[in-house]
Amino acid sequence: MARVPAPDRSAAAREKSAYFEETLSAGVDVDVKYINPFLESIDNVFAMMLDLQPHRKDIQVSDGNTGGDAALTSLVGISGKLNGVVVMRFPTETALGLAGRMLDAAPSEIDHSVIDAISEIVNMVAGSAKSKFNSDPPLELGLPTVVEGREYKVRYPTKSVWLEVPFDSDAGEFSVEVTFAANGGTDL
Amino acid sequence: MKALVVDDSMTIRRIVIKALALVGIDETAEAADGVEALAALAGGSFDLILMDWNMPKKSGIETLKELRKQGNKTPVVMVTTEAEKSRVIEAIKSGANDYLIKPFSPDQLAAKVKNVVPVAAG
Repeated sequence: MARVPAPDRSAAAREKSAYFEETLSAGVDVDVKYINPFLESIDNVFAMMLDLQPHRKDIQVSDGNTGGDAALTSLVGISGKLNGVVVMRFPTETALGLAGRMLDAAPSEIDHSVIDAISEIVNMVAGSAKSKFNSDPPLELGLPTVVEGREYKVRYPTKSVWLEVPFDSDAGEFSVEVTFAANGGTDL
Repeated sequence: MKALVVDDSMTIRRIVIKALALVGIDETAEAADGVEALAALAGGSFDLILMDWNMPKKSGIETLKELRKQGNKTPVVMVTTEAEKSRVIEAIKSGANDYLIKPFSPDQLAAKVKNVVPVAAG
């Protein structure tokens, strides 16, 4: 278990949900072991499919705000002995850069091909990570969803704790957020 | 030689098709799910199928099982994020000829293809 700091966001973004304030005031303890497989998978997917070596920043508790310039948010659920959601957020320029690398093209705007590429990135990150939990039977991976837009907040269910890790790369900044809990007392 | 590339991600289909060209397979068709794949296979023959696992409508493993039940013996390489050993075993027992875990490099895919079909180049 590790104590993680609250995210440093803009004044507007610091309008926190009741959950977040409650979480902070309680001094939440979060088991960070659930995020490590995703960090390893990001390194692997980005190196193999994008020829990139992203640099991770400090882990923090997420408040659900889009923050920064995030324009595309890709989500995928994982279920089984462990239930959770993986979220990756990309500013426009990062999304265009990553899609361009995957498609060997130079997209100039967010279109279907860019959304497809971003969706596949989170799919590979989540799929690659879930196998690292060594669950028997294997965890089930949902189909990814991509949300386009800015200035919105993801309303996380109460009592769930989301961990966020921002990254920087030659294609731009992005972040990953995860929330996971073992099902029925299972400890993976 | 003609290959059917089955994946709900257009991006992955592009990447797979590009990798197939490395081993001289330039004739390809695409399907975005198992239903489309079965329709394509009902309408023509293929020398090789590259099949994703998690897809809407009909998954790759369901499609594979249905193909083999129909007596279709076209070589199938599963190309999927499902990396657990039990998944690989299930796919092989269901009739998959080989298994490639995403993420993958073009060279890795080319090697898998060369394992299951005679290819002209690469």
